Amino acid sequence: MDDEDMSCTSNDDDDYDCCDDDYYNDCDVDATDDVAVTSTHSEEAEFECLNVAQVEKVFVESVKTLMLRLNIGDKVAKLLLVANSWDIEYIVSMYRMNRYDLFRQSHMAAKSDVAYEKPKNGYCSVCAIDGYESLASLQCGHCFCEQCWNCHIESRLSEGVATRIECMESECGVYCPPDFVYEILEKGPLRAKYDRFLFRDLVLSHRELKFCVGKDCQVVIRSNEDKPKRVTCESCHTAFCVKCGVDYHAPTSCDTIKQWLTKCADDSETANYISAHTKDCPQCHSCIEKAGGCNHIQCTRCRYHFCWMCFGDWKTHGSEYYECSRYKENPSVAAEANHVKARRALEKYLHYFERFENHSKSLKMEEQLRDKIRKKIEDKVNEHNGTWIDWQYLHSSVSLLTKCRYTLQYTYPFAYYMQSGPRKQLFEYQQAQLEKEVEELAWAVERADATARGALEAHMHRAEHKRQTLLHDFFF
Amino acid sequence: MKLEMSNIAFTRLQRECKEVVTNTEIAQTGIMIEILNESLTDIKGQIRGPPDTPYAGGLFDLEIKIPDSYPFSPPKIKFVTKIWHPNVSSQTGVICLDILKDQWAASLTLRTVLLSIQALMCSPEPKDPQDAVVAKQYMENPALFKSTAEFWTVRFARGKSGENEDYKSRVEKLRDMGVREEEAISVLSCNNWDLNKATVYIFS
Repeated sequence: MDDEDMSCTSNDDDDYDCCDDDYYNDCDVDATDDVAVTSTHSEEAEFECLNVAQVEKVFVESVKTLMLRLNIGDKVAKLLLVANSWDIEYIVSMYRMNRYDLFRQSHMAAKSDVAYEKPKNGYCSVCAIDGYESLASLQCGHCFCEQCWNCHIESRLSEGVATRIECMESECGVYCPPDFVYEILEKGPLRAKYDRFLFRDLVLSHRELKFCVGKDCQVVIRSNEDKPKRVTCESCHTAFCVKCGVDYHAPTSCDTIKQWLTKCADDSETANYISAHTKDCPQCHSCIEKAGGCNHIQCTRCRYHFCWMCFGDWKTHGSEYYECSRYKENPSVAAEANHVKARRALEKYLHYFERFENHSKSLKMEEQLRDKIRKKIEDKVNEHNGTWIDWQYLHSSVSLLTKCRYTLQYTYPFAYYMQSGPRKQLFEYQQAQLEKEVEELAWAVERADATARGALEAHMHRAEHKRQTLLHDFFF
Repeated sequence: MKLEMSNIAFTRLQRECKEVVTNTEIAQTGIMIEILNESLTDIKGQIRGPPDTPYAGGLFDLEIKIPDSYPFSPPKIKFVTKIWHPNVSSQTGVICLDILKDQWAASLTLRTVLLSIQALMCSPEPKDPQDAVVAKQYMENPALFKSTAEFWTVRFARGKSGENEDYKSRVEKLRDMGVREEEAISVLSCNNWDLNKATVYIFS
């Protein structure tokens, strides 16, 4: 065990706070810039976790409010709310302007004013049988027999439809309200199914509510955050974007990440095929397969040192600033033939995709690093070499590395869809800076034994600083 | 429940068939249906090409398949007779029509659906195409679209009007090279009757 490097720092500061955001208390690097970093902006959305009963309470409160505002019944109020994203102000203003339009838009009144003749002799036009004693109809008045309604509702339920079960008349557009469905279904196995779907539809229609995306998790998240920030479910601890429900993706927007993920799903075969291929040495063109993690490649045949990402001479990488993360647009693109353009588009995509994937893989590998560090801390404490608190900074350094790399990963979809221009240049500059800091931090964390605590914390501070700056300029 | 559903379907269809087969008014509109099996799941439909359209004079056969959940789900309908139309696949005959998909309502009948398809033949919706190649031609070169659709009506739908001699000779040229007639017409139509392009397409 070579603990000497570490033991020198183990006693300085027993009350070190392991919270990631406060780690730079005792750092003196870039101290003047801290104002920008420690701002009030947070990546975490404000939210609360609700169970079914609490969600029902939210619904009841909104219904009550709307009933009082418009002096209408609870059922009408609820239908209006479901059809209009529970936006009370919108409903009230529309109701006052033209309530019939509002009812039509909300699928509570027939779309057209086409005259409808009530069927004679209890005739149901769906089963084409007459003589029914009673026929049932919705608000629109289109009459059908109860058996047909039952089949219709059953058929829609099997497709997962609940609040949007429409009238059986063509181009009518009125939806079956819950009390009508309950009347038709009476007590049966379908009723429970309808209840389940109804609850789901009500939650989905509410702009502040969202189901937790965790597997088999019943929690509903309530948040009125309008930025794509992160929520972490208190029950299953799944973290996701509060707006769109996929993995948190700052600085990229929800639309962009959706586009990106779809593209990756579509193109992944091509991308896999191409990235699975080896690369050629830029000097002697012999085929090289990358075996280790290092991007500094030396061709075994011609001994040429080059960068795996940009194929540039490795010598230029040490002195000049790191810019392998920057995609260089070729100015003569317009003049090229279509297939060359397609090839170039693919190359551009692969440029970003490879980096996105590479960070994703690194994140997975750094999970193992976290375990290793945890074990190392345990060993040290067992050997009475400092206390658990003394070594927490190691743990914090891995957490911070993960956080920074995660953001870095999601800078690539953002850059891919960005228009060329000064803003993109600034973004790519900051991205390159973050990239450099993250790799330096990763290097330092992997060799924590040989790095003094002060040096490691300086790396942490710089990386988090770059990350915050980037989020500030492009996300918040 | 399952039994009840197919019961409803059966009674409904019996009544619908009577309606379409016997009613003289419907014979005048140019639609008819023919039952192909006792359980009424396979039905043949026929639409007479509406006058003042490139389909005039043609007889278009349709395949109608009735699902168990009919009339709570739409019947599956496609053209058997090949037709050149923006909302019908020139390859498979599949129709793009809202009431056959999400706008289906249980109160609609085979009669109303066939009439809607006939109306679609009168006024195509190129903005919501089933066949992008046909739709493009319809928008960019209406005259070429019309003559192509007419040619298809004569060749595939037993149309009576005279054949376009120019198109006929190009089809013959491809046939001399060993291409099947149907494929020759299809590829020529997709390439705006450019014989060179069609040849390159087939033989490359």
